[in-house]
Amino acid sequence: MQLSDRVTGSFLVVLGGACAYGGWLLPPVPGQEIGPDVFPLVIGVGLVICGIMIAFGIGHAFEEQEELVAPLPGEKPPPPITWGRGLTALIPAGLLVFYVYAVDRLGFWLTAGLITLAAALALGARLRLAIPLAILTPMIVDLIFSKLLRVPLPPGLLPMPW
Amino acid sequence: MSTIIEAFGMVLHADVLIAIFLSAIYGLIIGALPGLTATMATALLVPVTFYLSPIAAVASIITASAMAIFSGDIPGALLRIPGTPASAAYTDESYAMTRKGQAELALGIGLWFSALGGIAGTVALMIMAPQLAKLALNFSTFEYFWLAFLGLMCATLVARSSPVKAIASMLLGLLISCIGIDNPAGTPRFTFGSTDLLGGIEPIPALVGVFAVTEVMRAMLTPEPPRLASRRFGSILAGQWALTKQYLKAQMRGNVVGVIIGALPGAGADMAAWVSYAVSKRFSKTPEKFGTGYPEGLIESGASNNAALAAAWVPALLFGIPGDTITAIAIGVLYMKGLNPGPSLFTQGASSMYALYIIFILANVLMIPLGIVMIRLSTQVLRAPRAAIMPIIILLCAVGAFAIGNNLFSVLVVAAFGLIGFVMERNGYPVAAMVLGIVMGTMVEQSLVTSIIKSDGSVLPFFNRPVAAVLATMAIAALLWPLGAWLWSLRPVRVADHSGSGR
Repeated sequence: MQLSDRVTGSFLVVLGGACAYGGWLLPPVPGQEIGPDVFPLVIGVGLVICGIMIAFGIGHAFEEQEELVAPLPGEKPPPPITWGRGLTALIPAGLLVFYVYAVDRLGFWLTAGLITLAAALALGARLRLAIPLAILTPMIVDLIFSKLLRVPLPPGLLPMPW
Repeated sequence: MSTIIEAFGMVLHADVLIAIFLSAIYGLIIGALPGLTATMATALLVPVTFYLSPIAAVASIITASAMAIFSGDIPGALLRIPGTPASAAYTDESYAMTRKGQAELALGIGLWFSALGGIAGTVALMIMAPQLAKLALNFSTFEYFWLAFLGLMCATLVARSSPVKAIASMLLGLLISCIGIDNPAGTPRFTFGSTDLLGGIEPIPALVGVFAVTEVMRAMLTPEPPRLASRRFGSILAGQWALTKQYLKAQMRGNVVGVIIGALPGAGADMAAWVSYAVSKRFSKTPEKFGTGYPEGLIESGASNNAALAAAWVPALLFGIPGDTITAIAIGVLYMKGLNPGPSLFTQGASSMYALYIIFILANVLMIPLGIVMIRLSTQVLRAPRAAIMPIIILLCAVGAFAIGNNLFSVLVVAAFGLIGFVMERNGYPVAAMVLGIVMGTMVEQSLVTSIIKSDGSVLPFFNRPVAAVLATMAIAALLWPLGAWLWSLRPVRVADHSGSGR
């Protein structure tokens, strides 16, 4: 996920350009000099300028190290993150997307259980911990949200016992 | 006087007191667990606040965040891993004390001076806010525009990052706030034909994504923190009173710096701690002792971060401009609860404001006994495996986001902003600046458009009211600052060439 300034800067230039163009296409309000197009135009132009500056490395000197607490002298620094391992960072977001598309069909208990299980295993939990966690956590969350806070959570294939 | 009695009546309700007590425990636990921040604690609390009375809702946010900021000191001192970013500045110092066998003293300083700092911040809020409210009652859209502009620029100035990237992040936030039909003309913008996007991106799911999902994503890549050996603690508060008297000046300075940084939009407790630690070292008679387990810096920055937390509510309550990322979330809750931020909150809703002050004081007093219990139980709490906590956080993100509007689209927003926040953070783009842009976008645009319509296209009215002129000068100076700083940074190279010493 570590991209060069050149890449992120260029992305901002494209995004800013698209934003300004999209703003420019918006219909004006009749009889008004200033419409919904002004703000996106200003933002778009600003993003393009920032993107160019970032791509050319202006302001890079101000950036501080990412680690909040530096490793001790004797400590070995954390190993560099490979792309393969970097992709595991996408798991949480992926699980949320899975929740959106599965919860109505599978029901809350099943979906939430699968998410908990997958996340726990991805973080290196043993099955002895992950399975009870996957069964109990959705039950507690369901108790709090659907009983106490009255949020309608879909029962689906496997309704809660209450 | 009658308003104060009324305020006490509002706070001394069973539901408010229960909310304070439960959110205190919640905040203490979340803060103590590395990787879970005070902002995340607030974000995950929001769905619950919907079902509470307005005062109980705000009380739970205030209490949970104050407790979490203190509690972040615990793993910092015991494991050298800050529980929240606000403790990072002095983690080395407090860990050095633990290694010298003074763990109780280090934790005691964290607890005692956090509580004192929180109370000092509250006093500042009580004094500053009503005065500013009187001034702000005369503000027109021109002042509000400059104020909002200044707020946005502040966030870019104080970021520990490249100012250009901070401005870019802020613009990204503004762009996100453009989505939907919530603009002065009511035209759908950047909705791409999606009905879900018509209503715009709700700030709270976006913030949950940025502050909660991003942390879980980061946990996927970092090794599990080491296990803490079980230990028994001696007296936590022993010697704190002597330290209070000995380092009164440092503590006061910490409070003042904390209040100033907290009140600045976008900069919160973590920034306050960094600045205060640096200030403390700079003015100390014994700067060489810093980093070796010396209490002075710990006292000053510990007092500072909790003072910042309270002071961040000043711009949030007065103008709806978040003073830090926690109040960025809290503003959403305030609107939802009918406590719309603005100077009239202090004139018409004075009793609610007093109730707020009382809650702040109560939370900081309650911090001491509950904090001692937390420290004593910390070895048990810190033993909870991360593989059990993070899945719960993901689940709470999903259910919480859904609960906000009974809408699954919010869960997608959470996921998307988790990704955006993660990529931004990895590449040095400060997410706090983007958050400020998202929260303030509508306000900036509305005040800008109304001002331009009122001025009939002329630029002059933006500058010819005295307060507007002052704010405008500050805002433009803040915008040009990165340029100045960049030119300044070119200077030492030339000097180095002359002296031949190089860098």
